[in-house]
Amino acid sequence: MDILARCYAKDSNLITRDIAGETIIVPVRNNVGDLDSIYTLNEVGTLIWELIDGKNSVSRIAEVISNTYEVKLEEAERDALQFINSLEKAGMIRTIENKME
Amino acid sequence: MDILRYFDFSLEIHQKIKGRRIPIGGAIEVTRRCPLHCIHCYNNLPADDQEAKGCELTYDEHCRIIDEITEAGCLWLLLTGGEIFLRKDLLDIYTYAKKKGLLITLFTNGLLVTPEIADYLVEWRPFSIEISLYGCAKETHDRVTGVEGSYERYMRTIRLLTERKLPLKLKSMVLSTNKHEIWGMKHLVEKELGLEFRFDAMINPRIDCSQDPLAVRLSPQEVVDFDLEDPKRIGEWRKFFDKFNGPVHPHDQMDELYHCGGGVHSFAIDPYGKLKICELACGDGYDLRKGSFRDGWETYLLKLRKQKITRQTKCIHCEIKAMCGMCPENAQLENKDPEEPVDFMCQVAHLRAKALGINVKPHGECEYCRAQGSEAGLP
Repeated sequence: MDILARCYAKDSNLITRDIAGETIIVPVRNNVGDLDSIYTLNEVGTLIWELIDGKNSVSRIAEVISNTYEVKLEEAERDALQFINSLEKAGMIRTIENKME
Repeated sequence: MDILRYFDFSLEIHQKIKGRRIPIGGAIEVTRRCPLHCIHCYNNLPADDQEAKGCELTYDEHCRIIDEITEAGCLWLLLTGGEIFLRKDLLDIYTYAKKKGLLITLFTNGLLVTPEIADYLVEWRPFSIEISLYGCAKETHDRVTGVEGSYERYMRTIRLLTERKLPLKLKSMVLSTNKHEIWGMKHLVEKELGLEFRFDAMINPRIDCSQDPLAVRLSPQEVVDFDLEDPKRIGEWRKFFDKFNGPVHPHDQMDELYHCGGGVHSFAIDPYGKLKICELACGDGYDLRKGSFRDGWETYLLKLRKQKITRQTKCIHCEIKAMCGMCPENAQLENKDPEEPVDFMCQVAHLRAKALGINVKPHGECEYCRAQGSEAGLP
C-alpha cells in the first residue's frame, strides 16, 4: 500500500491535554507509550495529532499542513511522514488496515 | 514531537506558566480518617469516625470536581489523606482522574495495599507513590504510628510495590522518638531497597490548632544538625540559598501576605469539598458543594492571594526567608496569627545560615541576629 494512503488511529489510552497553550499527550495505561515520558507537541504536531482520526490519510494530512502553513506539498508530506513514524514508534498510533482514501 | 524526560518537561511547563495564574497542581484529601495514630500528624482522625465519613465527598462529587480542575488546567494531582485506601471507592476516583489525563501522586501509609491493588496500579500506573517510614526497628516505627504490627504490614507493602516496579518513594518525618534511626532508615531505603528517600523535621501543629504534634518536634539545633550530618543535604541548602539569596520577594509584592504558589499554581480540596490555598489551611475555604472550582479559584482564592499584610514584622525584610519555610498558614496554626513570625522556624533559619557561613543582614527587631553576623540571640 502507498504509504501516503495509509490511515492511522490514536491509541485510546492516550489523553490529550492543552495546558498553557502546550499540547501534552498523557499515557494513562500500562500498554501504551513510555509512562515515564511526557510527550509534548508543537503547533504543527498538534495539528497532525488532531487530524489523526482513523479516516484522514497521510496524504490528506499533508494537504492540510501545506494549505495551513503555505509550504510545498512535498515538504508537508515529508514532515507528516516523519512525525507519524515517530508516533508509531512510540506506540501512540497504529495503522488502520486496508483503508484507501 | 518532543519526548521529554520528566525533569525537562516539568521545567518547561513551569517556565510557560510563569506570571500566569493556572492551577496546574492540586491536592485532594479524600479522607482524614486513618488507622494509624501518628502523634505528629497534622490532620488524622480515627478510622471509624462515622461522622467524618458521612461528611466526605461522594464518588460523584469527586468526579465533578475532577472534571472542573482538569478543565481549569490541573495536570499534577495528589490524592492524600488520612489514609486514602480507607475509602472503598478510592480506585474508582483514581481511575476517573487518570482517564482525565492527570499525573497522579498517591500518599498512603501502605497498610491497606493488597496484591490486587498493587496489580491494579501496574495497569493504571500512578505518577508516583509516597509512603512514610518511621523507623528501621519495628518497635520504633510502631511506636510512632501507635499501631503494633504496622511495620510488618508496611514492609509487606513495600515488597508488593517494588516487585512490580511501581514508582515508589519513601520518606520520613524526623521526630524525637525516631531521630536515632534516621541514617539507618536512609541506608535501608537507598542501599537495601534501592529507592529514593527524603526526610523532613519541620512539624506543624494540627489543623484543628492542637499543639500536640510539637511534643515530638526536634529542637532547632537538632534540625540543623541533621542538615550538617549529610553532605548532600547541606550542599542542597547551599545551592538553594545561592539561588534565592537576597530579598525573597519583589519590591512591589512586599506588602502581600502570601508569597507561595498556593492560589497561583496550586490548591487543595479537603474531604468535605472545601477549596483551600493548601492542605495546612485551617480556614473555612470555598464550598465546592455550592459553587464551581472556577468560581472558587477566581473569587475566593484570588481574594486570599491579594490579601495584604497589616503590619511590619521582622520577616518582611529578612533575606534568609528562603531557608525558613514560614508561611501564613503555619503561622496561623502555631500562633493563631498569619503574620506573627514562627519562632521555631526563625531559629532554624538563623542556625542554618550560621552553619552555612551566611552573613545575615539586619532586618528589624530580630532577636536572633541583633548583632550583624552574630547568632548572639540564639539559644
